[in-house]
Amino acid sequence: MANYFNTLPLREKLNQLGVAEFMDITQFGDGVNALKGKKIVIVGCGAQGLNQGLNLRDSGLDVSYALRKEAIEQKRDSWKNATDNNFTVGTYEELIPAADLVINLTPDKQHTSVINAVMPLMKQDATLSYSHGFNIVEEGMQIRKDITVIMVAPKCPGSEVRAEYVRGFGVPTLIAVHPENDPQGKGLAEAKAYCVGTGGHRAGVLKSSFVAEVKSDLMGEQTILCGLLQTGSILSFDKMVEKGIDAGYASKLVQYGVEVITEALKQGGVTAMMDRLSNVAKIKAFNVAEELKQIMRPLFQKHQDDIMSGEFSATMMADWANDDKNLLTWRAATGETAFEKTAAGDVKIGEQEYFDNALFMVAYIKAGVELAFETMVEAGIKPESAYYESLHETPLIANTIARKKLFEMNRVISDTAEYGCYLFDHACKPLLADFMTTVETDIIGKNYNDGKDGAVDNQELIAVNEAIRTHQVEQVGAVLRKAMTAMKAIKTA
Amino acid sequence: MKQAMVHSVNLNLKYGSNTVLKDLNWQIFPGQHWVIGGPSGTGKTSLAKALAGVNHFQGAISFHYQPENPHHLLYVSNWYQFTNLEGDRNFYYQQRYNKSQVKETLSVYAELQHYADTENLLFSDAEAHLKAFGFENFKEAQLFELSSGEHKKLQLIKALWLKPQLLIIDQPYTGLDAQSRSYLNTAFDQLAAQGTTLVLLASDQDLPSCIQHFAEIKDGKLVERASAQAFSKAPQRTKKSLPYFLQQAPLVASEIMVRMKDVSINYGAKQVLKNINWEVKAGEKWLLQGHNGSGKSTLLSLINADHPQAYANDITLFGNKRGSGESIWEIKAHLGIISPEMHWYFDPTAKVWQCIASGFFDSVGLFQNLGYERQQKVNQILDFFELTAYKDQLLNTLPLGKQRLALLARTIIKNPELLILDEPCQGLDLEQTTHFNAVVDELCGYGKTLIYVGHFETQLPSCIEKKLILENGAVIANETIFESVI
Repeated sequence: MANYFNTLPLREKLNQLGVAEFMDITQFGDGVNALKGKKIVIVGCGAQGLNQGLNLRDSGLDVSYALRKEAIEQKRDSWKNATDNNFTVGTYEELIPAADLVINLTPDKQHTSVINAVMPLMKQDATLSYSHGFNIVEEGMQIRKDITVIMVAPKCPGSEVRAEYVRGFGVPTLIAVHPENDPQGKGLAEAKAYCVGTGGHRAGVLKSSFVAEVKSDLMGEQTILCGLLQTGSILSFDKMVEKGIDAGYASKLVQYGVEVITEALKQGGVTAMMDRLSNVAKIKAFNVAEELKQIMRPLFQKHQDDIMSGEFSATMMADWANDDKNLLTWRAATGETAFEKTAAGDVKIGEQEYFDNALFMVAYIKAGVELAFETMVEAGIKPESAYYESLHETPLIANTIARKKLFEMNRVISDTAEYGCYLFDHACKPLLADFMTTVETDIIGKNYNDGKDGAVDNQELIAVNEAIRTHQVEQVGAVLRKAMTAMKAIKTA
Repeated sequence: MKQAMVHSVNLNLKYGSNTVLKDLNWQIFPGQHWVIGGPSGTGKTSLAKALAGVNHFQGAISFHYQPENPHHLLYVSNWYQFTNLEGDRNFYYQQRYNKSQVKETLSVYAELQHYADTENLLFSDAEAHLKAFGFENFKEAQLFELSSGEHKKLQLIKALWLKPQLLIIDQPYTGLDAQSRSYLNTAFDQLAAQGTTLVLLASDQDLPSCIQHFAEIKDGKLVERASAQAFSKAPQRTKKSLPYFLQQAPLVASEIMVRMKDVSINYGAKQVLKNINWEVKAGEKWLLQGHNGSGKSTLLSLINADHPQAYANDITLFGNKRGSGESIWEIKAHLGIISPEMHWYFDPTAKVWQCIASGFFDSVGLFQNLGYERQQKVNQILDFFELTAYKDQLLNTLPLGKQRLALLARTIIKNPELLILDEPCQGLDLEQTTHFNAVVDELCGYGKTLIYVGHFETQLPSCIEKKLILENGAVIANETIFESVI
């Protein structure tokens, strides 16, 4: 199978990368009608599979689950999840032939084998849905020409998809129709109906394309979402310990700090996050971030280039074929870092202290969010797509670090993201080595405001505020966040 | 004279501009057992939290404990929040009905074992309490599968088991059935005899006999009273008529609102509901009773369309059979519900008016624009429940009683056909309960259908005319009440 993106002429590459239309609730007036009375069969019953299925059924749709024969015979968790909630469960052979819509919610890595098993069983003119386009775009899977191929991707973990639905809301969702597989032109109507069925239409929907989703998703998860948080956590912790800060305190400041800091990011963008600092601290953080951006920009560009050319996915798929040797080695190494092995100390850290004593983290997150966003937009991805794959998901990933540090983050995210995360981390740490020798505890570990009188120069402050607020990620973010203001705040421990 | 166990001097506490405690002084001597009563919102919980060290305050509190018992002070709050294995609280309303094979919380048994280990207790000492509170069947249950009443009991079991020198419990009786209340009072008396000093925050009259000290907070200071009967009453409410839009009988979609045929719910081998047959006709006023864990909440979750197993049962709601292509939002549009669980999981960022307005959309939090007419209705209902002054405050910063009234307002604002009130008066004092039930009676005068869950026969709306009683998941009585239940 050839990389789909690379088979396209440049004009079509740009055309598909540039699909990004923000849709608000008024565009979903037709509700679930396009799928009403149709047979929906979900393949896979993990967190996304189960929770999306519960929502679709509660929206009045006919949902059942197709699982592999072994999963049924051995009564695996996926089988229990589905049967305990009174869904019909059957093998591919039993359920797929009658399905009008087959929703593939298996892990990325299994897509090729799942599609190869499912596609021959699908009836003429049925629809196949993905939640991530890797299989189509990078692996170049060819789907039978009569089948419609759509994507509906809630931008939150499965449990959140359910939690928001039952409280009468939803999570931001990305939808797409694959232009090679829309023979009857019904793809968009069905994707919208599916989205309504999960509640996503209430929280803001981005109409994207398979290509734009994959190229931005890979970039976001490797750089800002996972790689950057991993590198930043380890560097901050090691620096504090090196400078004599109590290891338990350092561990807690980093583990929960990323969540507290990015909560401000989630609610009010980079502006709100920076506004949590005093004026002096904000100016300092701004300058640190500028320096970090300069150092890291070539690395971000390399990642984006490798993603665009298909170099990244080819390397990763080679590792898949090699029994995940690199992935497993890197995973083990992460489990051995000092940050990972030092438990959070039994100290109380106030909410504001997480900002004041971790100025470096704030600057680092600002630098990463802006760099990821800028690099994606420069590569032809629309600002709306770039926003979802950079700023929007950062707090969600930070939440996993707060739960159980980096190991938990890497467990929760996909293998694809985990692989990219390690690639980034291993290149980024050496890149920042010189810079880190200049870092003192005033910007990580202790309150930057201590011993300062708080005085700032008017002109300097005005210029810094202006630069923060007029960045494109802030302008596009303000519009998108308005549609999802009611999103539940991530709760802090 | 013995040395005071707790010596509090000049406690001061403010929330914003609102003074709660003002130069409050209080000494608690060993063996002196107290009830702090009086109207809701006077600062009882704030005082208890100050003693327990979980509230900031100004002033000084010193403690003098006996060296022989290492368990000094235990504070049991009126709302209990449990965490999952990873220590966070990301649970959501009705999650316990969605089955997933991920073990998110400890089992009840593991939790108790863990408690025994950390507090150095003997498991055998808890057996009697577990038995008395009916916990034997719950040992393997996940914590988040328990109902609110069962959670309360688990907290009480831990407190009785620990036997601390000072035990402070906020609203020990909320959510407990009559049998558990009576056991609890006996257990309190035994605990007192064994050297625990009790401080109960309660507005109840039915108290353990060891209590000899009664006090309430007035103008921020502690004032002693002769007995629980002498506690101040909340100021008399001015009688207001219902807003006009609640004086109209709602349109009824189907004469038979709820029909269940041989409904059974199982979790693995555990059967929670057994062959339930029940019909609720338009205009009927039902009382639903049963011990904690008898299946009441599960039964109601079927009517509120929150339970996934509804799809595998023969249930007809408002004229439509479940699983015939209806959405849960179409069902919820017919009814208004209030329950301890809904309260528990309510959006912590919701202001009082937003909470009430969300009732138009059956959402837990407000996500839509209201428009003028709905906004006017919200204002009228705020006025009716005397909540106008609180409308811009966060719901969860109000005293419990006011939170419940706001949630009742949310429940009725769309003038639904069917009102489901699941222990709506849990945590309310007698005055508030009487007021609440009077409102329910008045509402029901305008053609509403009612399902009301309440434990204490003396505190029920008088309109009730039919009764369904559950025991271990089965109906043991389905009857018409000819005389008033009082």
